[in-house]
Amino acid sequence: MTSARTVTRLSRILTLIPYVLDRQSADVDEIMERFGYTQEQLTRDLNTIFVCGLPGYGPGDLMEAYMDEDEVIIDAADFFAKAPRLTPSEALGLLAAGMTVIGSGEGSPALESAVSKLSKVVMPDAGTSLTVDVLDQTRNIGVLRDAAADRSVVRIVYRSVGKEETTEREIEPWSVFATLGRWYVLGHCRLVVGQRTFRVDRIKELEVLDETFVRPEAVPEPGVGYSPSKDDVTCLIDLDPAARWVLEYYPVEVVRESKGATRIRFHSPDAEVPARLLLRLGADARLVEGSEVASRVDEIGRALLSRYQ
Amino acid sequence: MQNVVERVLNLLIYLLESPNPVTSNDIRNTVHGYADQSDEAFHRMFERDKQVLRRLGVPLKLEALDVWEIDEGYTVDPEEYAIPDPKLSQEERLALSVAGRLVRLGGTEAGAGAIIKLGGMERGDGLEPLGADLGEGVEVLGELFGAVTERRKVEFDYRGHVRPVEPYGIAHRRGHWYLVGNTPDGERMYRVDRIRDLTVGETRDAFTKPKGFDIRAVVDSQPWEAGTDPEIETTVRFDAEVSWWAARSLGLPEPTDELTTTVAVANRDAFVGWVLSFGAAAEVMAPQEMRDAVAARVGEALEQSGRSTS
Repeated sequence: MTSARTVTRLSRILTLIPYVLDRQSADVDEIMERFGYTQEQLTRDLNTIFVCGLPGYGPGDLMEAYMDEDEVIIDAADFFAKAPRLTPSEALGLLAAGMTVIGSGEGSPALESAVSKLSKVVMPDAGTSLTVDVLDQTRNIGVLRDAAADRSVVRIVYRSVGKEETTEREIEPWSVFATLGRWYVLGHCRLVVGQRTFRVDRIKELEVLDETFVRPEAVPEPGVGYSPSKDDVTCLIDLDPAARWVLEYYPVEVVRESKGATRIRFHSPDAEVPARLLLRLGADARLVEGSEVASRVDEIGRALLSRYQ
Repeated sequence: MQNVVERVLNLLIYLLESPNPVTSNDIRNTVHGYADQSDEAFHRMFERDKQVLRRLGVPLKLEALDVWEIDEGYTVDPEEYAIPDPKLSQEERLALSVAGRLVRLGGTEAGAGAIIKLGGMERGDGLEPLGADLGEGVEVLGELFGAVTERRKVEFDYRGHVRPVEPYGIAHRRGHWYLVGNTPDGERMYRVDRIRDLTVGETRDAFTKPKGFDIRAVVDSQPWEAGTDPEIETTVRFDAEVSWWAARSLGLPEPTDELTTTVAVANRDAFVGWVLSFGAAAEVMAPQEMRDAVAARVGEALEQSGRSTS
């Protein structure tokens, strides 16, 4: 068993040493900020460095490390002149982060050149071996982010998810974020008078208004999830293995899982969402309970069939 | 933990400074912290410490000490140990630290570990309010990326079948991580979170990637393009109310009125599902067999729903 904390601590020590060696000495406050140290942690790490060194472990073999007033001094540690190379996970994490921000349209030329330089040292063809795609609408992300920062009200023409209905509304954007491969804007919606999360790629038109809004003191953590309300339509659906992808695309509750069919409970503001889903699943799903949904499936299904006859 | 940290530092110094590979016995007798341990305790500690070194990114190698390969010794090449300097400017380092803080992977900041090794964080303005979450960090993701960069073959269990794969690249798309690679059946794509029992080959550069391979081209395709059905040109019409949304999904310029367009379909099931997600606002116009496929799907759904409620 390896403790992640041991690895994290060692990683920081092995980077601190070359950083200080390179500069002969370094300012305590700068070190704490740069490496995310508290004073206590920094003291402890310096004391650890101080008791380690070359075999023999006599006074001339150990590294020197101490604080002198507001300076950090490290010496006799030439074997640690460079930090250890990045692990694949570390390289992947940082490259993916850079690519995500570039993909949002918010990347600077500096970030682009940084990602390209970093890719080259990790692997010569990183650019064609790793891709991070969490965007649909780059131009809107920048506009919404600026509106959130300036507290500007935005008018959007929006196509709702599942219900597939296009509406015009004014929103007070609090934050822009990406999760599950898509960009979202979280804020107060004046149409429904409440907090809503909108998918950025589903915003058809967008206009920043002159009006500003007051941001609530405590803005909720951005996240995507569906919290059922008492007016919701609820139904039970059995999914065949071929329709299991539904679990990854809709916020559903799994009631029962078995080799054959997976039973889910589906909550939504109206019957339209599950009805359209059932139509596209055809023979791969069965409605077990939910008469309102059944009649909506019937209605849309018949309208469709009449077009195809 | 304090003892482990000191012991691993001493071990690493010994390995970096020894001109020749050293045996585990040398290590036991020389490095501070291993003495006075029973055989069993020593082996346990040493195994654990090697694990820590590997997780730190230290290239620990086991080499034969003589031509008969009877004795083996450990070594760390100082050249290989050192991080290659990407020569980032201060502005570039700042841009990377900000990106590393904004993006989350597996519940932590995606770039935190790497930023420290590249010389720590730079002070600067954040990009708030903007953030991105690349989902659960899957433990195998790092191992797979390592295999891609070093061209090592991998083998894993995927939905109950063992797959040997030459890993070409890794992609994040629609909330999931994918591995793309070459298999005995041709190029395939796997969802990383469904990969079990991964083993990574010992040999570096065990295969060559085809020239011109680009992961972006592989994942940019639409679900109905990635299929094995004989390709069929399908004409579909979208009502004005939904035409902009359909055009956006298809990568076409956004129309102001209704839209009629032709799409090459290689996966009929996926395409029929997508058309039906528009409800009655989209209609397949031609050919007849694709119209029949849509009507058949709707018929099935009606039958299923009729059965459950009657």
